Amino acid sequence: GDRLNGFENGKTQLLCLCVRLQVVLKIIKHYQEEGQGSEVVQGVLLGLVVEDRLEITNCFPFPQHTEDDVDFDEVQYQMEMMRSLRHVNIDHLHVGWYQSTYYGSFVSRALLDSQFSYQHAIEESVVLIYDPIKTAQGSLCLKAYRLTPKLMEICKEKDFSPEALKKACIGYEHMLEEVPIVIKNSHLINVLLLDLQEKSTVADKHELLNLSSSNHLEKSLQLLMDRVDGMSQEIVKYNTYCRNLTKQQQQKQQYLQRRQQENTQRQSRGEPPLPEEDINKMFKPPQAPPRMDTLLIAGQVNNYCQNIKAFTSQNLGKLFMAEALQGHSS
Amino acid sequence: MKIRDMSKCLEEFEQLCRAFLKSKTIVDKEGVPQFYVRLLADLEDYLNQLWEDKEGKKKMNKNNAKALSTLRQKIRKYNKDFETEITSYKENPEQSAEEEEKDDAGSASSSESDDDDDDDEGVTAKSLLKKKPQEEEKKAPEASKFLKGAADEESESEDDEESEDWGSDSVDSGSESEDNEGAAASLAVVFLKKAQDGDKQTDRKKDDRRKKHKKKERLEEEADEEGDGEEGGWEKVKGGVPLVKEKPKMFAKGTEINSAVVIKKLSEILQARGKKGTDRAAQIELFHALAGISNENNLGEGILVKIKFNIVSSLYDYNPNLAAFMKPEMWKKCLECIDELLDILFNNNNIFIGENIAEDSENLAISDQPFRVRGCILTLVERMDEEFTKVMQNTDPHSQEYVDNLKDEGRVCGIIDRLLQYLESKGSTEEVCRVFLRRIMHTYYKFDYKAHRRSLGLQGETKSEQDQEESEGEDSAVIMDRLCKFIYAKDRTDRIRTCAILCHIYHHALHSRWFQARDLMLMSHLQDNIQHADPPVQILYNRTMVQLGICAFRQGMIKDAHNALLDIQSSGRAKELLGQGLLMRNMQERNAEQEKIEKRRQVPFHMHINLELLECVYLVSAMLLEIPYMAAHEFDARRRMISKQFHHQLRVGERQPLLGPPESMREHVVAASKAMKMGDWKTCHSFIINEKMNSKVWDLFPEAQRVQEMLVRKIQEESLRTYLFTYSSVYDSISMKTLSEMFELDLPTVHSIISKMIINEELMASLDQPTQTVVMHRTEPKSLQNMALQLAEKLGGLVENNERVFDLKQGVYGGYFNRDQKGGYQQKQGYQRAPDQRGGYQQRQGYQRDHKGGYQQKQNYQRGGYRTQNQSSY
Repeated sequence: GDRLNGFENGKTQLLCLCVRLQVVLKIIKHYQEEGQGSEVVQGVLLGLVVEDRLEITNCFPFPQHTEDDVDFDEVQYQMEMMRSLRHVNIDHLHVGWYQSTYYGSFVSRALLDSQFSYQHAIEESVVLIYDPIKTAQGSLCLKAYRLTPKLMEICKEKDFSPEALKKACIGYEHMLEEVPIVIKNSHLINVLLLDLQEKSTVADKHELLNLSSSNHLEKSLQLLMDRVDGMSQEIVKYNTYCRNLTKQQQQKQQYLQRRQQENTQRQSRGEPPLPEEDINKMFKPPQAPPRMDTLLIAGQVNNYCQNIKAFTSQNLGKLFMAEALQGHSS
Repeated sequence: MKIRDMSKCLEEFEQLCRAFLKSKTIVDKEGVPQFYVRLLADLEDYLNQLWEDKEGKKKMNKNNAKALSTLRQKIRKYNKDFETEITSYKENPEQSAEEEEKDDAGSASSSESDDDDDDDEGVTAKSLLKKKPQEEEKKAPEASKFLKGAADEESESEDDEESEDWGSDSVDSGSESEDNEGAAASLAVVFLKKAQDGDKQTDRKKDDRRKKHKKKERLEEEADEEGDGEEGGWEKVKGGVPLVKEKPKMFAKGTEINSAVVIKKLSEILQARGKKGTDRAAQIELFHALAGISNENNLGEGILVKIKFNIVSSLYDYNPNLAAFMKPEMWKKCLECIDELLDILFNNNNIFIGENIAEDSENLAISDQPFRVRGCILTLVERMDEEFTKVMQNTDPHSQEYVDNLKDEGRVCGIIDRLLQYLESKGSTEEVCRVFLRRIMHTYYKFDYKAHRRSLGLQGETKSEQDQEESEGEDSAVIMDRLCKFIYAKDRTDRIRTCAILCHIYHHALHSRWFQARDLMLMSHLQDNIQHADPPVQILYNRTMVQLGICAFRQGMIKDAHNALLDIQSSGRAKELLGQGLLMRNMQERNAEQEKIEKRRQVPFHMHINLELLECVYLVSAMLLEIPYMAAHEFDARRRMISKQFHHQLRVGERQPLLGPPESMREHVVAASKAMKMGDWKTCHSFIINEKMNSKVWDLFPEAQRVQEMLVRKIQEESLRTYLFTYSSVYDSISMKTLSEMFELDLPTVHSIISKMIINEELMASLDQPTQTVVMHRTEPKSLQNMALQLAEKLGGLVENNERVFDLKQGVYGGYFNRDQKGGYQQKQGYQRAPDQRGGYQQRQGYQRDHKGGYQQKQNYQRGGYRTQNQSSY
């Protein structure tokens, strides 16, 4: 019942996302157990909408399955899982999904498609992106995204031609909107945590202060380069398309002119003018390359850049700090 | 007929009639042959007899009874035409049988000489037959049997229509029993006759005749011998029939055997050549017999030469298709014949032979004038050489047989040598060139151990061996040189010269005369147009290139070796390109016909180049080049591979889940490469040179020791280079002494290597003379920096592409072409500079931008955007 409150009219914006600690831990655990390197783990988020915020109270992972067992039915599994959860009195409403990421590479066609179908079916759905590498560096990195209404429109139309995208006035900046996340716990858990904090021996290692940067940067740069290459290719494709288009336009123009001249000549000779032919049939416009990929790549590149920027600025700070420390000690 | 298969009988009879009609012209001329008449008469008698036999008739089945009646009617009708003959036969059957023999022999010999001699020769034939009275006697009393046999034959003859087989069959039985010589004799006559007129139909008639003989003998023999005796007996004939026995049958006794007769005979035999029904084996026998006759009668060398020519060519003809190879005995015979032919030619200076001598201008008889014989000994020898190759191609190279066959190579070479001597004095330059090429082809691939030992200054182990050495004449190098130079100067066909050059190069390369070989290769410009040559020459070219590469490797010219081998090895079809075997391919690409052609191009096994050696040489040279190169260009965005093949091997090695100790040659090289990558020359050395590799590869070189030393040194040097490339970033400075100890190289070498690297700007360092150390400059960008540079480059490209889109929108064409050349290229240059110069690079880029002037102002806002983006990403 609650879930219908805000979203029935479709106007209200999601202002905030409340995530239970349990969910975060579960996601981390899932990755820890099953994810490796660039492999990605995914799962289902459960929760409910309360006023203008979405509360995510539980989650469960999609099972890893190889291509061998064809008869495995994912939907069936999900329904089964949710039913079982309801039996133990847990929120069983599907409100989105989560996915791990490798150096921030998640802006892809696959994500777009699945998020679109989620948002199409369940409007309040979000996707949680968990970055294990950044988390390993010392700060939890969990982000929630939704497709913007504009992008939803375009995806609904399924028209990714340059004109359509132009008309929609969409850029890579306007593809995904980030939803702020608040991690919220019940008081009992807070109490427990405080209690634990007292008791636990704090780990000596402070990953936060790790000065080595080249490895992370190299990886990021590699990925960035890869995307830049992709971008270049897309642009070249678009470029050829544009050139073909103009060339054809010119041909069309020439043809029309010639036809006109002939007709005036015929008129002067008193002959009937040549019949108008369907010009569009004669000059079929070249197939326009879909621009969605370019947009996605741009978004991804932007993402990488942001990541690198954040990382380098942090590192610079650390380096200055280290220098100062060194100067101080010597 | 015993079985009373009348329908068969009828069929045969009809065939007989047809055959008779066809040979009517001859019959008209010669009269109705006796045997035919006799056959008709006998048949009629028999039929009548059958007709009377009512009981037997009842037993017959319907078909047979019907056939009997038709046959009876037919033969009645038919016999009316021959009434007189038949009656005369019936009066005196014995005589006519004899007469028929006579006639047969007569007609046979009449074809040999003029018709006038008919009578005379008839008599001789008769007397000849009389020599075997036994035979005659048998014939007469057994007339009835004979009769049966004749008829019986008819019923059976349908199972074998090929006239050849019949012939050999009857010879077979002829040689079985002593008293059958007469049969053999008449057989030979039949042979001759058959060979002479070549008319198949008449042949058949004769066949019938022979069949009668056969049947008769068969009757005497056990019935069961019939079936299986055939095949074995066939073989026996070829070598078995002694010449003496056959001789009288060639010519009737008493004929004056002079050259004219022999020549006539020869041309008779020749005419049958290539005809469908000719028994080639028998033909060869005939030639031999003829040669014997002419020899006995001292008809002179002219005829002998002529006959020998024909023997050899009919030996070549023996195999109907080109793919099949000669049988060993044929091959031996061929060799002997050619040898004898050459003997004659050497002994008799007054014989002229040539292809151009017309048949009618030949002079074969003994006279004051020199002999003139048509025929080309060179072609024969060339063909012989080809046959030799074919024999070698078709022998299993791992069998003792191959070794045995290979022993004939000496004889082949001997023949070619003799021919060479002969032609040098008599032949035209063209012929000399051809025979020279043959000689070269037999020399170029053989390693001259003698000369090699001599050049090393080693004496033969024992005195006798030394003597032998000295007596054995000049080095193959000298011979090659002489022959090839002659061809270069005199040859007018391009092909022979090309082959000679290639062989010469090959020979040079084989004997480690690298510079001569290389210069010859470069001067000949063969590389430019070899693709237009025919496949065998291309194969030779490939072989030569490979040998050149291996030679370069032995000399330590790694780069040259690699370049020479690259083409062959990179295709992965070395086996095919060298003509050393066919690759397995699906049938779409190659049908059976092509496969046959390709098989014929294969190089015989004893000329093969060891493929493993080839690959090893290639991989090792690739390793020596590639590993330092890889180390030097580790971070280069677009580094090129020197050798794809080598990289492929490396990748295969990497993909291995479990790395055991290397087994194969490739694994050894891969393992060595890995060691070298780390600058660990000792491990590398132990992988390249060890027991396994020695036995597989290195020991195959004639100077294995020297090659190994060279290799070790190369490995040390290249490892040093690799080490410096890989680890220079770790060092601030390194003492050359340490390096020389590490790589066990002496100081000057280390010094020179490092200096070279510094000069080539491969190593950013300088030498500190007083302390003998290398001081690193640390200008090499780190991997992150490299990456950043690459990214910048890529972004540059992206911007460029983007601008093109923009240009298009603005409708400005051609504008970006300028930028293409200027911007793109210069940017690339800029990226390669060391990072401390990057400021400069940016300035320059900025400068370029500004320089573009008016056009740019229009798009200023765009530019600005790109630039900031560009710079921020540095």
